Amino acid sequence: MRRALLLAAAVGLLLLGLYPRVASGYGIRFMLQLFMWVALAQSWNLISGLTGYVSFGHVAFFGTGAYATAILVTTHGWPWPAAAVGGGVAAALLALLIGYPCLRLKGPYFAISMLGLNEVMRVLVSYFEGLTGGGLGLSLPTLYASVAIYYAMGLAALAATGAAHLIITSRFGLRLMTIREDEVAAEAMGIDTARYKLYAFLLSAFVPGVVGGLFARDLGYIEPVAVFPLAFTITMIVMALFGGKGTVWGPVLGAAALFVFQELVWARFLYLHQILFGAIIILVVLFVPRGILGVLQQRYRLPRYV
Amino acid sequence: MSVLITPAMVAQVVVSGLLAGALYAMVALGLALIFGVMRVINVAHGTFLTIGAYTTFWWFRLLGLNPYLSLLLAMPLMFLLGMVFQRTMVRRVVNAPELSSLLLTFGLSIALVNVLQLAFASDLRSVEYLTGAFVVGGLAFSKSRVVAFGFAVAITALAYWFLQTTRFGKAIRATSQSPEVAMVCGVNVERVHLFTFGLASALAAAGGSLVAVMVAIQPEMGQVYTFKSFLVIVLGGAGNYPGALLGGLLLGLVEQLASLFLTTQLSEAVAYLLLVLVLLVRPTGLLGGRAT
Repeated sequence: MRRALLLAAAVGLLLLGLYPRVASGYGIRFMLQLFMWVALAQSWNLISGLTGYVSFGHVAFFGTGAYATAILVTTHGWPWPAAAVGGGVAAALLALLIGYPCLRLKGPYFAISMLGLNEVMRVLVSYFEGLTGGGLGLSLPTLYASVAIYYAMGLAALAATGAAHLIITSRFGLRLMTIREDEVAAEAMGIDTARYKLYAFLLSAFVPGVVGGLFARDLGYIEPVAVFPLAFTITMIVMALFGGKGTVWGPVLGAAALFVFQELVWARFLYLHQILFGAIIILVVLFVPRGILGVLQQRYRLPRYV
Repeated sequence: MSVLITPAMVAQVVVSGLLAGALYAMVALGLALIFGVMRVINVAHGTFLTIGAYTTFWWFRLLGLNPYLSLLLAMPLMFLLGMVFQRTMVRRVVNAPELSSLLLTFGLSIALVNVLQLAFASDLRSVEYLTGAFVVGGLAFSKSRVVAFGFAVAITALAYWFLQTTRFGKAIRATSQSPEVAMVCGVNVERVHLFTFGLASALAAAGGSLVAVMVAIQPEMGQVYTFKSFLVIVLGGAGNYPGALLGGLLLGLVEQLASLFLTTQLSEAVAYLLLVLVLLVRPTGLLGGRAT
């Protein structure tokens, strides 16, 4: 089973690597966005799927990364791949600053403090106009690099999934899952919960920071409302939830399923689109809260690396 | 600081803060009730407020009657809708992990906001009634805000009276203290949940009706109220109903003072800072209350 999975993954990667040679412009953009969602859903999974701390403002890291990258490219002249990594570092720094106090909050308090963080980041970015251009936004120099960004985004998705695999199959992952199941018991067993939660949080913030940077480079123009949308947070949560949170492949599966569905079906209903989105969230929560892989895992005792 | 701040300005800001705070307290009481009784954070609470605001708008536009009378329609309407949502959806996630209830009510909120957008478009609409201000001793108070303050105080007082003295109000408080013990004592917990959700939704709708006369309305107006209400119940102590009143007044004051000494734009960031600080120092809120 393990060998078959590895083989399938290798073939899949090879096909995705060769895809830009045959793809149309639309095809590349489609896959690029799909990679973005895989990376985002996976990053949310790292903190919330594993430790149970629901990050309800994960897009704050995405937006921070986007702004950091845009500023590094426009005012400091960094090449965009380095600037995107810089975006990831900026997001991780924000996570350090906010995670240290907020990760002590329990349950809904943590979720709402993260929701507030996103609102505040948007306000701050609009306020410091000198650095960020305020409500007018920032324009990046023109660059035609869709294929390069396709590979970079693919790499981000791959790295996030690889990290999830490594973590979930390691002692570190077991510690995080122990925190999720019972934090007091985890502490009693000698797990330094504050430290491991913070590690998971930093890692989980770094990924959307990089992805936000690539998003900014790809779009060429960013402004506060576009890079701090609450709907992004919800979308990545629903993707991870639908596929199966706390699993390696769940977020990948969920992102692929919902993104393809969104592009092929929803996009046709211009006005009903958001209403359907709300309805899908409700349906997923009510009928598949454990996700596709969660249900399969319960039924067939799948190994942890799935 | 380039602008000189006079004592009169501070007095003006304090009074405005209290006027706004009473409204926050009323709306937040609804959120506090739902959270206290069901441990559910209703992210759609602000959207219920928006529905109240639209009810008032159409009441005024179509019937031409006094907009404050629309409370008589908006509150029962939202009471019923709230019970429908509780019966069909929220009931299933009451004992689930908080992610379920957060996402469920968020989904409900998106769907409702977009139904409103589809029905009424996102234009700003306003109820032109009671414009102008009372001037007392050099201070000016917008008439609609003063009237809203009066209604908010009256409705909140009524809700407290109901919770404190009636049999059903006591059942609600008992359920929020301990569902199991309440059940053993013969309280129909399912019915308490249903009624609490309705009552809380009606309080949000009342807030919407009053806000509609003060500012222009649009489908997404309610979202900030969800966050503010949560802030209020954290300040006051979750599950502590008198705490919501104090928290509301405090939030109103802090916001107004922040906009005087800093800028209006930053007042939201100040409110957030306050939230994080309070949670760090007293995780159960300023007035204590039961920890989760």
